[in-house]
Amino acid sequence: MTPSLREKFLTYLLVIIILVVFMTPIYLILVSSLKPSPIMFSRPPRFIFTPTLQNYYDLFTMRPFHLQILNSLLVALGSTAFSLTIGTMAAYAVSRIKHRRINDVAFWILSMRMFPPIAVVVPYYIIFKTMGLLDTPLALIIVYSTFNIPLTVWLMKGFFDEVPEALEEAAQVDGHGVIATFFRVTLPLTAPGLAVSAVFCFIFSWNEFLFALMLTGSKSQTVTVAVMSFWSSDAVQWGRIMAGSFVILIPGVIFVLTCQRWLVKGLTMGSVKG
Amino acid sequence: MSSVTLRKVVKRYGQVEVVHGIDLSVEEGEFVVLLGPSGCGKTTTLRMVAGLEDISAGQLEIAGRVVNDVAPKDRQIAMVFQNYALYPHMTVRQNMEFALKPQKLAANEVSARIAEAARILGLEPLLARKPAQLSGGQRQRVAMARAMVRTPKVFLFDEPLSNLDAKLRTQVRVEIAKLHRRLGTTVLYVTHDQVEAMTLADKIVIMKDGHIEQVGSPEEVFAKPRNLFVATFIGSPAMNLLPAKVAVVNGAPVLVANGFRLAAPPSIVSALDPGASVTLGIRPSDIRVDEAGDYEAVVEVDEYLGTEVLLNLRAGNHELVAQVPAAARPAPDRQSVRIGFDAARLHVFDTQSGEAIR
Ligand SMILES: Nc1ncnc2c1ncn2[C@@H]1O[C@H](COP(=O)(O)OP(=O)(O)OP(=O)(O)O)[C@@H](O)[C@H]1O
Ligand SMILES: [Mg+2]
Repeated sequence: MTPSLREKFLTYLLVIIILVVFMTPIYLILVSSLKPSPIMFSRPPRFIFTPTLQNYYDLFTMRPFHLQILNSLLVALGSTAFSLTIGTMAAYAVSRIKHRRINDVAFWILSMRMFPPIAVVVPYYIIFKTMGLLDTPLALIIVYSTFNIPLTVWLMKGFFDEVPEALEEAAQVDGHGVIATFFRVTLPLTAPGLAVSAVFCFIFSWNEFLFALMLTGSKSQTVTVAVMSFWSSDAVQWGRIMAGSFVILIPGVIFVLTCQRWLVKGLTMGSVKG
Repeated sequence: MSSVTLRKVVKRYGQVEVVHGIDLSVEEGEFVVLLGPSGCGKTTTLRMVAGLEDISAGQLEIAGRVVNDVAPKDRQIAMVFQNYALYPHMTVRQNMEFALKPQKLAANEVSARIAEAARILGLEPLLARKPAQLSGGQRQRVAMARAMVRTPKVFLFDEPLSNLDAKLRTQVRVEIAKLHRRLGTTVLYVTHDQVEAMTLADKIVIMKDGHIEQVGSPEEVFAKPRNLFVATFIGSPAMNLLPAKVAVVNGAPVLVANGFRLAAPPSIVSALDPGASVTLGIRPSDIRVDEAGDYEAVVEVDEYLGTEVLLNLRAGNHELVAQVPAAARPAPDRQSVRIGFDAARLHVFDTQSGEAIR
């Protein structure tokens, strides 16, 4: 069925509305980051001005923003990799074990994700202080993984449930061991799940603020905390905050776009008649 | 190529026993079909042979070696699953390559085997496609090719044709028969379709409720069913059953079935007890329909099937189905025909136990 003109029009209208709603903040961030500070809050707002990269320049000279980006990347990628590894294996076990209480186990794992972070931040602080891990990326990787692993387990369980067991049996009869079967047959079929999980883990870790603020100092500060440091008691340096915010957006976008090519549906189609 | 032997093999799921100690031997190169109604334990038995299901008790041997505790991957079998189980992320060629990988063959040997299988099963134009881009029949053939390239000791098939339409089913059935003739590999084949069983098998194993009812060649199970279950399960249309009593006339046993008085088959005369309740079995094709017949029967419905006609008859209070060649079809205005029975072709079963009287 080809959509009528009216339907087409409505579809495009909807897309445009959604785009406007989502893009306006990003536009404002970009515009504000390019404004010279004197006209930042001029009324009425100035839309015509000579853009300046001063704020971006300050970002990398007044602060080691490039190092902070590296910290953030290390923490986010580290936690994503760790969570996917552990979470995928756990999810596979939860999906394949046949026991009537297994769903309770799965729910218990998910419930970890529901912990209010503020409730555990002090215990974490004390633990990492004792272990000498304060102000290290490792501390954040561990903390973020406690949130990312349950999410991964829950997401991936759904994807593993969709992979027909007959495929694994076929691989075994064909002479493949459990490990080869998992990596060559089962896992490739859950690629969309891995992509979704990776996106969620990365974005959560990249954007996290509370733990990063409490558990890092100058050495392994992440970008979210770094940006907020332009907000001090005597002045809020909006231009630099906006410049920092815009830079922070970029890795997330790149990561999501990279993962997107794995987000294809119907990967198991045609495998088993059903 | 090798034999498969099951000794008192039992399968339990928790408290429920679904396969009750079956004994079966499949000789080297033999084509054995497990046949039975739904839920009788055919798939379970096959999966135990494959190693995909634990054996609760008993012993399983492949090529003379006990393999109860051998992992599926080390049993050197190939299985064609009911739902194909093709690897969806791999092309047809990759599906076959993946099945060959554990054997660590040289690259040219791998491509030679794939080419051979593709040629036999007509898959050459499809090698670069993914399973999702194939029709049901093509997927079926890929599943067979994938099993074939491995040159296993034993082929296991689980209702491989059940998803195909009637025409394709006949076609692939012939392919399987040819394949077996060509490769001579031992085959264990599960189906609930008796035509498949009769046409393919060297030996049919008829199962019911986790028991083996009879093992024999297609001719044997058709001509000499061991009990009422096998008698009615094999043959289409099904065997006519008539309750009867054994009477003695002039010192010879006669089977009396409400209006019919039939001489007992000579071979079992000595085994018949006077006064016993028996069940007579008469195959529709064994009913003679001609003027010389002893009994009058009313034609209620006749079903024309092309080469033959099924006559639904009423004789006294018996309802019978007779199968006659189309040429012998009674004229449409004929209300009744004369029918007769051949003593040697009667099947006689003990009504109580259902066992054939031999
Ligand atoms: N996992 C299981 N747990 C409990 N019972 C089972 C299980 N799998 C199968 N069964 C039972 O075992 C019996 C045999 O099943 P099986 O699948 O072997 O039948 P089948 O002969 O292959 O039937 P069909 O022709 O329908 O495929 C059935 O009664 C079934 O309900
Ligand atoms: Mg079955």
